[in-house]
Amino acid sequence: MFGYIFPEKPELKIKEYELFRAYYCGICKSIANRYGQIPRLTLNYDSTFLAILLSSISEVENDLKMERCIVHPSRKRGVIKNSDIIDYASDINIILAYYKLKDDWRDEKSIKSGAAALFLESAFKKIKRKYAEKCEIISHRLRELEKLEKECCNSMDRAAEPFARLMEEIMYYPETCKDEKQSDILKWMGYNIGRWIYIIDAYNDLEDDIRKKTYNPFIYQFNYANSDVDSFRERIREKVEFNLVYTLNQLAKTYELLEIKRNKGILENIIYMGMLKKTEQILNARSCKKIEKSI
Amino acid sequence: MKNPYEVLGVRENASEEEIKKAYRELVKKYHPDQYRDNPLSGLAEEKLREINEAYDYLMKNQSGGNRSGSWGQSRESYGSRNNNEFYSQVRRNIQMGNISAAESMLNSTNDRSAEWYFLRGLVFQRRGWYDEAYSSIQTAVNMDPSNFEYRNALNQMNMSNAAYRQTAYGRGYSRNDDLCTLCQFLWCADCCCECTGGDLIGCC
Repeated sequence: MFGYIFPEKPELKIKEYELFRAYYCGICKSIANRYGQIPRLTLNYDSTFLAILLSSISEVENDLKMERCIVHPSRKRGVIKNSDIIDYASDINIILAYYKLKDDWRDEKSIKSGAAALFLESAFKKIKRKYAEKCEIISHRLRELEKLEKECCNSMDRAAEPFARLMEEIMYYPETCKDEKQSDILKWMGYNIGRWIYIIDAYNDLEDDIRKKTYNPFIYQFNYANSDVDSFRERIREKVEFNLVYTLNQLAKTYELLEIKRNKGILENIIYMGMLKKTEQILNARSCKKIEKSI
Repeated sequence: MKNPYEVLGVRENASEEEIKKAYRELVKKYHPDQYRDNPLSGLAEEKLREINEAYDYLMKNQSGGNRSGSWGQSRESYGSRNNNEFYSQVRRNIQMGNISAAESMLNSTNDRSAEWYFLRGLVFQRRGWYDEAYSSIQTAVNMDPSNFEYRNALNQMNMSNAAYRQTAYGRGYSRNDDLCTLCQFLWCADCCCECTGGDLIGCC
């Protein structure tokens, strides 16, 4: 369900791109330092976005250092160090990856996912102790989602709600939000981000879900009834597009209320261009060609 | 009061023209109409107030010129021509951001008039359920096509997507993939080189 949030690279300034990577590398190293090498493999771009967004309103200046790493041994690169926000984003990255793997294991009996989840077990336990309340809320939201899936929920709004609420919780990091206003803004951004991810993922997975007979909200909302998959995708596209772009628009408007201190260029690139690009790519993809996801 | 230049996003010695231009853009951006469907509309109003204050301050101190009234202050309230006390209460709840109260009021009645559908649509909007919001408002319009308020709300939902896209295009976003394919090719080539220890594009 992850890896949809990415900047529109050609429109980034080079210094912005370098900074984006410094956050990405910061998260990667933070995971490696605290939990070892294997959890590092779960790293994705969504958590990079989370770190960039949270630190954009933080009072604390970035601690940027040039370092080498085993993935890119040839040259030193910028890495953001000693940041609570980076640590938080890495923890969230592991929590979500862990639940995702567990979910795949349960639904599809994927041995690969089951084994990978075992490798994350110890890291996850440590994090669970640190953010007991957050983990409880996240797993509660995922249980809600599971319940809706079992009921074959026929509304994309309703089906997207648990994941949207989950992202809302993730965006709320009390250490950076000095006042209630800022955290309200972040939460509503989180809601819309989660909603967008859920809906875009549902559209992207539509063909797979039909083939494997797994739950997908669109099958029930728009009465799939064994028609041709391509023409079904075509039929619902306009409606899905409206919902996705509307959600992005809400995200953008809510973002404009935030008092940004840094990272403005990257954030606006992602919110106004990267996410729109992803939306259009997935809506217009031929059914045989799945859009590549990061992980 | 915050630094008025910062609020308007202009440099400290900006000309009157520049200030006016920045001001106009910001008012457009934070206008209450833009935030009707957003639960944080109160914050947008606050932001607009700040912008108006900053502008007033700069205008007063720059040229001594005075300006007649700030923009975007007048907010047409929902339900000004509504006689039904019940629905006025629902509207008040929505306006005050008390969404769950508005929702349970709507659920408590058996009335399924156009207004009921319209208000339910507004509640859905604020909850982030845009799909249901759209169909609910659409139903209201179908039931009472002559009602300006319902039609206006529906139009605004339709138009907001175009506005978002406009902003993206204004920032240089392009759907045209020619250039993009080229960039992707270069990027792939760069990544391949990096994997093997070399580098095609030095900067990334």
